[in-house]
Amino acid sequence: MNHRYFSAVITIAAIYGLLAGCAAGRRNALEPAVPLLLKKPPVLLAANTNTNLIAQNEPGDDDFSLLEDDLAWDDSETEEIYAVADPLEKWNRAMFVFNDKLYFWMMKPAAQGYRFVVPPPARSGVKNFFFNASAPIRVVNNILQGKGHAAEAEVARFLYNATLGLLGFGNPAAKHPELNPPVEDLGQTLAKYGFIDGFFIMWPFLGPSTLRDSAGTFGDRFLNPFGYVEPVEASLAIGAYDVLNDLSFRIGDYESLKQAALDPYEAYRNGYIQLRQLKIKQ
Amino acid sequence: MKHIRWAVIGVVLCLCPGHGLLAATQQAEQIPLTPLATVKHSIDQIVEVLRDPAFSAADQKQAQRDKIKEIAYPMFDFKEISRRAVGPKWQSFTIDEKTRFTDVFAKFLANTYVDRIQGEYQNEQVVYVNELVKAPLALVRTKLVRQSVSMPLDYRLRQTDGQWKIYDILVEDGVSLVKNYRVQFQSFLQKESPARLIETLLSKLNP
Repeated sequence: MNHRYFSAVITIAAIYGLLAGCAAGRRNALEPAVPLLLKKPPVLLAANTNTNLIAQNEPGDDDFSLLEDDLAWDDSETEEIYAVADPLEKWNRAMFVFNDKLYFWMMKPAAQGYRFVVPPPARSGVKNFFFNASAPIRVVNNILQGKGHAAEAEVARFLYNATLGLLGFGNPAAKHPELNPPVEDLGQTLAKYGFIDGFFIMWPFLGPSTLRDSAGTFGDRFLNPFGYVEPVEASLAIGAYDVLNDLSFRIGDYESLKQAALDPYEAYRNGYIQLRQLKIKQ
Repeated sequence: MKHIRWAVIGVVLCLCPGHGLLAATQQAEQIPLTPLATVKHSIDQIVEVLRDPAFSAADQKQAQRDKIKEIAYPMFDFKEISRRAVGPKWQSFTIDEKTRFTDVFAKFLANTYVDRIQGEYQNEQVVYVNELVKAPLALVRTKLVRQSVSMPLDYRLRQTDGQWKIYDILVEDGVSLVKNYRVQFQSFLQKESPARLIETLLSKLNP
């Protein structure tokens, strides 16, 4: 462990300390974590077969906004779909083909082999570990967006999973909806601050993004502990392993999207834009 | 006159119980299911077909696909799906083009998604989260749980003639499939005719 990595860890620790201090100033220091942990998870009622469960949850604001989105829909000529400019379409389409080949020739066989060798619990553990380790990104962006409660929840989940979840390989916090706020990143923060998407970019290896989200991804790397691992090759390898592990759960999704589309590139681009719009709204 | 009156009363009395009975049975058949119950009813049946060992042999796969399609088809309002997927340009379709488009798009969707469901079913659990109703629209929120990964899958429904039918599916907490098609169809129709769109979908249907 070298000097830069150490200082990053200390910075992160300082942020947590600060947050805990803020929480303590307002209420009992343990309050953000403890009462949340004692709340009951949603009741699952088993229906006639055990493949089907009904959770009786009261609908929240998010649910209603999803429903209301569509109440006003009509098919008049004025109807507009949120779209992002695509001046680089030629390059983007070429990169889409490149990533497509990369997926079918390298990533997919690798993920299939990996999935075959490594059992699901181990893969889930790795997924949890990487997610928990990237908590700094989510904490800082929640603070930058003024979402104090969500930032506290992120810290509480990090500590909970890092301890009871054995360094974050387990995810005991999943049982507590209050500890699972929407994921925030710098791209969303910039959007909250009024930055527009700019234009769409399809990066080789990294996939779809926009100008704003690319800036966000770059900035978030400074909050990712694995971004400080040296040499750079090791850092990139860790990142690639995270991607591979993630992919092992989603083999087949890309193929379906491609098969179900009239123009896969356009379907993919719109999918990305829709998803980002939703996350920014949350 | 008196005879006629009694005859009329007699006829009415004879018919009434029958009428009442008829009305009662009709009502029993048509107790409107809630949107969630409607979706669950069909998904339960599909899961049953997917798990049925009778279909596990390779030569039974086509039969299983047909059975799933048979159950799934009435769940959807393909007219509404087509209208929304095409968007404003729908007005420029002729009545014949509307019918043909609806038909081919329904088949296209059925082929793509039924193949996927059949190919990838791994004992997923369906968790029904909640339902929201604002007649004539409703939203049924579910989660598909595979191993430890859970995927949100929401259904938008519309009520026509007392029946709730799906007209859009949302993945990842709100990415609309119909909207995704609308973007693709719109840019296609900027350059091409509705007839070409129908042809293209047909060619995708039988590659």
